[in-house]
Amino acid sequence: MNKDSTIKLKIYLFAGMVIIISIFYIFYLYDLQIRKSPEYQSRARNLALRINTLPAQRGEIFDRNRDNPLVINVDSFAVNIIPAETDPETLETVIDELAEILNISTESIKSKIPDNYRNQYYPIEIKSGVSLSVINRIAENIEKFKGVTWNSKPIRSYLEPGSIAHVLGYVGDITTEEFQVLYNKGYNINSVVGKSGIEKYYDQTLRGKDGIHYKTVDVQGRKIQNVQVDDLLPENGKDLVLTIDRHIQKLAEEALGERMGSAVVLKPSTGEILALVSYPWYNPNDFYDDDRGRIYRELALDNRHPFLNRTIQSVYEPASTFKVVMTTANLEEDLFPVDKAILCEGSIWFGDREFHCHVPEGHGWLILHEALEQSCNVYYYTLGLKYLGIDIISDYARRFGYGSYTGIDLPGEIPGLVPTPEWKERVFNTKWVGGDTVNTSIGQGFINVTPVQMADMMAMIVNKGVIYKPHILKEIRDSVTGELVEEIVPEIIHTSTIHQDTFNTMQQYLRGVITDGTAKVVITTKAVDIAGKTGTGEVGLEDSWNAWFVAYGPFDADPEDQIVVVTMVEAVNEWEWWAIRAANIIFQGIFAGETYDEAIDSLRWGWLRNKRKPQ
Amino acid sequence: MKVKSFFNIDLSIFFSMLGLMTIGVLFIYSSGITSSGVQMSNEYIYQIVWISSGLILYFFVMFFDYLVIRKWSFYIYLIFIFILILTLIFGREVHGSRSWLGFLGFGIQPSEFAKIATILFLSDYLVRKKKSIRNLSTFFTAMVIAFLPVVFIIAQPDMGTSLVYIPVFLIIAVMAGVKKRYVLFLLFSGLLMIFLGMLPAWQKYISREEIGFIKILITDDLFIILVSSAAIVGVLSLIGYFFTRRYYFYWIMYSFFLLLTGLLGSLGVRSFLKEYQIMRLIVFLDPSVDPRGTGWNIIQSRIAVGSGGLMGKGFLAGTQSHYRFLPEQSTDFIFSIISEEWGFIGSVTIIVLFCIILVRGLILINNAKDSYGHLIGSGIVMMIFFHVIINIGMAIGIMPITGIPLLFVSYGGSSLWTALISVALIQNIYLRRYRY
Repeated sequence: MNKDSTIKLKIYLFAGMVIIISIFYIFYLYDLQIRKSPEYQSRARNLALRINTLPAQRGEIFDRNRDNPLVINVDSFAVNIIPAETDPETLETVIDELAEILNISTESIKSKIPDNYRNQYYPIEIKSGVSLSVINRIAENIEKFKGVTWNSKPIRSYLEPGSIAHVLGYVGDITTEEFQVLYNKGYNINSVVGKSGIEKYYDQTLRGKDGIHYKTVDVQGRKIQNVQVDDLLPENGKDLVLTIDRHIQKLAEEALGERMGSAVVLKPSTGEILALVSYPWYNPNDFYDDDRGRIYRELALDNRHPFLNRTIQSVYEPASTFKVVMTTANLEEDLFPVDKAILCEGSIWFGDREFHCHVPEGHGWLILHEALEQSCNVYYYTLGLKYLGIDIISDYARRFGYGSYTGIDLPGEIPGLVPTPEWKERVFNTKWVGGDTVNTSIGQGFINVTPVQMADMMAMIVNKGVIYKPHILKEIRDSVTGELVEEIVPEIIHTSTIHQDTFNTMQQYLRGVITDGTAKVVITTKAVDIAGKTGTGEVGLEDSWNAWFVAYGPFDADPEDQIVVVTMVEAVNEWEWWAIRAANIIFQGIFAGETYDEAIDSLRWGWLRNKRKPQ
Repeated sequence: MKVKSFFNIDLSIFFSMLGLMTIGVLFIYSSGITSSGVQMSNEYIYQIVWISSGLILYFFVMFFDYLVIRKWSFYIYLIFIFILILTLIFGREVHGSRSWLGFLGFGIQPSEFAKIATILFLSDYLVRKKKSIRNLSTFFTAMVIAFLPVVFIIAQPDMGTSLVYIPVFLIIAVMAGVKKRYVLFLLFSGLLMIFLGMLPAWQKYISREEIGFIKILITDDLFIILVSSAAIVGVLSLIGYFFTRRYYFYWIMYSFFLLLTGLLGSLGVRSFLKEYQIMRLIVFLDPSVDPRGTGWNIIQSRIAVGSGGLMGKGFLAGTQSHYRFLPEQSTDFIFSIISEEWGFIGSVTIIVLFCIILVRGLILINNAKDSYGHLIGSGIVMMIFFHVIINIGMAIGIMPITGIPLLFVSYGGSSLWTALISVALIQNIYLRRYRY
């Protein structure tokens, strides 16, 4: 083959390559433009319009008096950086100065604009909750802050921070996990969402519906002015009116003082919660602080668990308060005559184990109502083990709502536990023994309940066989007109077939606890006659116990006028039998219309003024 | 040369070229219109001016015998190297690269014309070295000629234009008859360079996992060990080959120097390429890495082309382009608008017109009476062809975004004149096919 024909061959091969690649391109275009055309046509339509949300105003929250709001929105700003509009050469200094003005670290800004975002025209939020004065400082030097913008982003202001925090909860930026759950429910990645409490439970009602601002954008996401599509206006969130009475809330909060524990004030005839206190609490306004990361971390790591709403998220042994259930069971079932006495000698042997009463020398001979008044353990050990048996005990515990969710409109409620032999066998793989029944008879052992369930237990007695769902929300109202949108109707969660007579007798017995029994010396209020039961739970500490007091009053009034008060002080506090004292103050305050300070004066408990904290 | 012989030019190429330029003007006009029908740009008028003046240049180039041009080729080449250096110093910066030189109120891009100058001189050199064409030294010198301008163009920086030099050099070298193993060495070491250079970025943005081998590439100590061992094996086999003349030593040396070049080159790729250039390649591999940034262009362009369908949305009726979803519509992405508004018919028309120019061009240069004609002809065809496959491939998402114009069609005087001069050279060769 000579040189000339070699080169000619190469040229023909080259031409062949050109033709083959061209044919490949034509086939590829055929696939793209003919076969897949419908798909791309719909994508072309969808992408021409970009949407921006017009945020809806979040609803405000009021207490039942509806005079002053508990939560409002306060104007505030978020500072953003649009990476593509910054000048790469001065970006470093811009970030430094911005960090100084906003009082955050430069690293936190840099971490929000990684290198591969540098070309985008999307604002990236650097900090929210920025005040107008700070915005002014940026605005005055705007030529220095190239690519820095801001937008209005209202923050929630909790006007009376305190124990109400556990009821109201707080809000925050949506997390990726939350977004995945709430996807398709009107949330977007920049949403502010309720994190706990009412803010979380009624988030959908409070948040309203964001509007949409349509804009046509060009290649880099920049806005094009000349295409106008009507905006979809935002629908503001609804205002919530709570069943909480903020005066009672304050009273109960101060009555409990700085003691780990909780207080519940319930209106039994409707299930409305008038006060719900759990100590310790947190201040949700702190979450807008510059130092929020540290504050949040400290709260989360605090071993007193300030984020825990003890009224619904903590369970305790009901202790002696469980004798109310035991007594009711015996009255109804009539398994041991009410007027037959049992001898208490301070302790009793069952099998090879000795069970103690809280009075070492013993109560002597007691009949049922005396045993309840004196809270005699030996009587109830005997009643439970010999006469009622665990099946009837757990059946009655369930009838009073123990072991099941109350359905309160707050997130995170736990149901507690009513043990049965089957349950024990399933979980521990050991047989239920007599000792278990003995323990359960005085509300110790496996059984545990929340303070709100405890209030419901008493509501059952007050309502004579009915428990209404405890709830926090009273009304939903329009945020602009104030018009009533929805009123929460009381809802029955437990109805009992126990006879009315049994409840009548129980009410008399419980009154006896106050007049002649364990609570006699402490319940000193003259403002109202109450009935109730104390409870002192062993938790393994030498000289301190979980203290319960559950009561209602006025004793002889219509159920509509009665309220139930539950106080619970954990054994970790120094022992001062505070639960009953707190309840005494709460009843005095509510029925005499007094504040905490006025109430302790009326009770001549002025010496308690300095006892907010356990000594 | 007689004036009447101008009528003997190849008319199929001439009219295909006119067709492409006409379509170009139409769609440069279309790209300047916003969605509300307002003409925002006068680019189409400028383009008509460029075409008219370019056609004069076209006939002017045909007037001189290409063998006369060959005699000047060394000086033309030198002048353009000089202009490229001037551009680096005095050039105007547009879109972040210093590739424009102000000239009587017009801006020109010397890097475009430098391609032709390089083809002319490179071919001249290889034809002169016909006797020693299979020597390594010839190949090296040819490489220096071809890639000297690239140094200045990369420095601007203009990656796209630099890339064109590679296939052009390879085709001319093959046509001239250099040893295939040299060409393959260049080809493979280039591919290895890009592959190794991209791996760290690939790990960072796409795989997001620690990969042992990539760690070697980015850890200095390990990298030095790897490079030195490749170099030592290479040198040892070179010594082995020198003493024993065994062929397996030669091939061991070949492979290890290939690896060495690839490794060192990858270092160059990583340190030399700007972040956005690496991102372009990364995004080409996976547009979803950065759908709002660089990936956006690929996605938008595919949507424009795909939504065109068989017949297109009609002239001036494209939505993607008129809402300005596409960047650089009149230059880099003009094919997207054509495909969107004229559909599959329009895309095929463009490709067929180019095929006529390219294939017919190759047939014509096949008749050339001397190797110089063969070499510059195939170099020119390769240059146009490379522009076409990269530009169209970019618009349909099968080639990375490099910013190479679609010759004849895209807006821009320099690339249009370059295209016209190139085709004029082919016609020039064709017109002088009967010379003895």
